[in-house]
Amino acid sequence: MQLKNTENSYGMVTLILHWGMAVIIVALLVLGLYMTRVPVSPLKFKLYGWHKEVGILILMLAMIRVVWWSANILPVLPATLPRWQKMAAHAVHAAFYVFMFLLPLSGWLMSSAAGFPVSFFGWFLLPDLITPHEGWRVLLSETHEWLGYGLIATFCAHVGAALKHHFINKDNILRRMLP
Amino acid sequence: MRLFCFRVWITVCLLLLLPSLGMAAVPAWQIDPSASSITFTGTQNNAPTSGKFKTFSGKINFDPNQLASSHVRIVVDMNSVSTSYAEVANNLKTADWFDTVHFPQAVFTTNTFHKTAATAYTAQGMLQIRDKTVPITLDFVVKEHSATHALVEGSTTLKRTAFGVGRGEWASTDEVQDAVKVNFLLALTKK
Repeated sequence: MQLKNTENSYGMVTLILHWGMAVIIVALLVLGLYMTRVPVSPLKFKLYGWHKEVGILILMLAMIRVVWWSANILPVLPATLPRWQKMAAHAVHAAFYVFMFLLPLSGWLMSSAAGFPVSFFGWFLLPDLITPHEGWRVLLSETHEWLGYGLIATFCAHVGAALKHHFINKDNILRRMLP
Repeated sequence: MRLFCFRVWITVCLLLLLPSLGMAAVPAWQIDPSASSITFTGTQNNAPTSGKFKTFSGKINFDPNQLASSHVRIVVDMNSVSTSYAEVANNLKTADWFDTVHFPQAVFTTNTFHKTAATAYTAQGMLQIRDKTVPITLDFVVKEHSATHALVEGSTTLKRTAFGVGRGEWASTDEVQDAVKVNFLLALTKK
């Protein structure tokens, strides 16, 4: 298997970024939904700490992913695919890129607004993007939450479409993202 | 005879007063709350987070030239704790942390000062938070000093568990570290 994408298949780097980030992002969504419901405790602090540093990891991987995307061609979609489905597929992919940036950034901003800066696994401290402010914290925390719900909806559409193509249309759409 | 008695009494009184007259009294200073602050910085998940106490008062008798006679007592209203994320301050007031219902004040007293540099000093004293009183040392610099006005800036690092701040599951120092840095800025006017 080659590193870079071809007209017919995804390369190894794209595959690793896709599946690696998929696993991490799903874990972040589950953690985010769970940790916000945990009563204030050392456990809650620990979970928030993990959520923040792994979220920043996603932001870094998203930057690598954009660079890799810009340096690669994309495998073409089957010619038999209706135009609206091609557009829907592109829209969902574009939405994922938006979420990969806006979710970590809104999380980083809300941490700054709350006066709880983010440490990246204890290696270094992220600079505060804004000064602590209760009004901004509430607004950003709601933005972060709704972006999360938007990501879950987009994820369902993406997985639903992939499974539909695999099991109903029986085409190679899902298989080309498999090793 | 009467006159003599009076003179004797006056002389005795003056003689008794002499030692205190020979040395000027250590000046008393008043804290200007609008220009003063007491802040603290703890560490959670390897990242610092800060708060402040909005209300505090003090009796400050300090003279750089009379350190041995200087003495200070600062009282902090623990209910005035404030953090940018208001929920944190509310949690700090609960029984596991400051327990402000039972211990509404923290008190620092000192009468032991040492000069460490031209305008730098240390103060060794006792700090009471909750029901624990622990000896601490704080470092401070007299940044401005005139006949009427003084500006003092200093800090110390406390171990919160020594005061029972953060009990039960919070006694663990993994998520919220033990060391808490306290910074203070006191703008003083002579009484």
